[in-house]
Amino acid sequence: MGGLGHRELGGAGPGESSQSGSPAGGGGGLSAGAKLLNRALLPSRNALDEVGDMMILAGRTISSALRPPYPYGGEFVWQFLFILRVCWLPLLVSTFALSYGAPGLQAANFLSLFGGLDRLGGFFVLAVVREIGPIITGIVLAGAAGTAITADLGARKIREELDALQVLGVDPVKNLVVPRFLALMLATGLFNIYAVLFGLFGGLLAAVVNHQPLGPFWVTFFANTSTTDLWGSTLKTTVFGAIIAIVCCYKGMTASGGAEGVGRAVNQAIVVSFLVFGAFNYAFTQMLLATHPNILVIR
Amino acid sequence: MSAPGISAPPWLVSTGEMGQFAGRILRDVLGLRVLRFFGETVRQSGILILTSTVVIWTLVFIIGLGACGTEGAYFTQSQGAPSYAGAFAGWCDLREAIPYAFGYMMAAKIGTGIVAELGAMRINDEVDALEVMGIDSISYLCATRLLAAWMVLPFVYATGVGVAFLASYIAVVHQVASVTSGGYLLIFWQYQNPTDYLYSMIKAMTMATVIVLVSCYYGYNASGGPVGVGTATAKSMVLNIVLVTIIGMLGTQIFWGANPRAPIGG
Repeated sequence: MGGLGHRELGGAGPGESSQSGSPAGGGGGLSAGAKLLNRALLPSRNALDEVGDMMILAGRTISSALRPPYPYGGEFVWQFLFILRVCWLPLLVSTFALSYGAPGLQAANFLSLFGGLDRLGGFFVLAVVREIGPIITGIVLAGAAGTAITADLGARKIREELDALQVLGVDPVKNLVVPRFLALMLATGLFNIYAVLFGLFGGLLAAVVNHQPLGPFWVTFFANTSTTDLWGSTLKTTVFGAIIAIVCCYKGMTASGGAEGVGRAVNQAIVVSFLVFGAFNYAFTQMLLATHPNILVIR
Repeated sequence: MSAPGISAPPWLVSTGEMGQFAGRILRDVLGLRVLRFFGETVRQSGILILTSTVVIWTLVFIIGLGACGTEGAYFTQSQGAPSYAGAFAGWCDLREAIPYAFGYMMAAKIGTGIVAELGAMRINDEVDALEVMGIDSISYLCATRLLAAWMVLPFVYATGVGVAFLASYIAVVHQVASVTSGGYLLIFWQYQNPTDYLYSMIKAMTMATVIVLVSCYYGYNASGGPVGVGTATAKSMVLNIVLVTIIGMLGTQIFWGANPRAPIGG
């Protein structure tokens, strides 16, 4: 069982706690206050159980990725190509459209009031490289690749293929989770570069729509951008990829309850991914801005 | 359907089917035929409120805090005009960030939820059972969900706007502390008015309508066992992300593209 011990624990958690809740309600063994507290803490206790299980899965994934037998090469390449195939079009369309609308047109509106439209390029460093590029990359990768991973693993879990793998002596974490984890990490980091690039195209279109020459856009963009911004952005999205992979694999591998269970697993995976990488994005940006104040200086 | 020898590409066929399906649902809702199932509509509204509100608030809060609040405070600080953080936060929150955060979270939470639920019903032959009992399944399953979304989501969105405003206020005034509370609020409220709010609401409700229609289509037409439900859920999410972004862009272009609607300048 070893490889899946923590998941069995996660699956048993809710059932066990509801069992312990109902006799207490019937028999009246506990005081009313303790019962109420038990009742109120039940959802948060299940959530904490899940967080712990995800941490365990993350640790196990990293350690089994590093430990010698490396059987996951072929699966890694296949997953990487799969992610490329499902994500490239939504990513390019989304970053282009969003950067044209949100920072492009709105900031151009603002700057044109001051007659400073040439500053649009400088604003795009802040908008696209630091915030929009990474967030859209995370959203698209979670929405397109993460959901597909959860659906795939969830279906395998429902059809008991994961258990069959274990019976055959194949570790599902090493052979299924590790390649997806690595592929999603790499793909998210690399896709971020394309997101930034196409975000810039959106900004260029906004400049053209406002009858501006493109020279000043590039000049202020390159004057304000820095290597710190680029590595910060890439590092951030790489961690997004890791978060999405762990959440989606965990939700897929713990799916239960037939067709509806798989759908529910995908639903929960995507919601949890969004919230977790959103929170991480906030913390990381804070840290980057606080430790590298020089990237804030407008040149 | 098509002439012999000519086959339309599959994406074109499914686009057409989706349009027909969406038209059918919209006719049911606007023609008030859905009111036969008003009880079901109210039940769906309740589910929406109980399961989705907090999640939407959370994402909106995070985006309002980080993307609009902190970045706005630092950006205006580096421009030498920290007191104008309110202008940045006001525009960023109301016009762009809240509609997008709302749309993405709607697609993730409500959209995939609908696909999972309807897909499972389809796989378990429950949709056919409804038809056998003489109940119009599209009306009962899809039109009620659309009407429920229209009834509930404007209020969820309005409260979400409040949550994001609070988050930006916390970030600018208390966290970065670059401007006083009064100075921030003065500029913040000067740079927006009820018409902007109405435009923002129109943007978000268009997103919500499209998400519910797309999700109903994918869920209602799911096939192929548990794998099929999972695949349909994943596919609907991809399409929803792209559509949310495009609606957001078009909304910005239409409402603010030609007129900045700012309290300064000519």
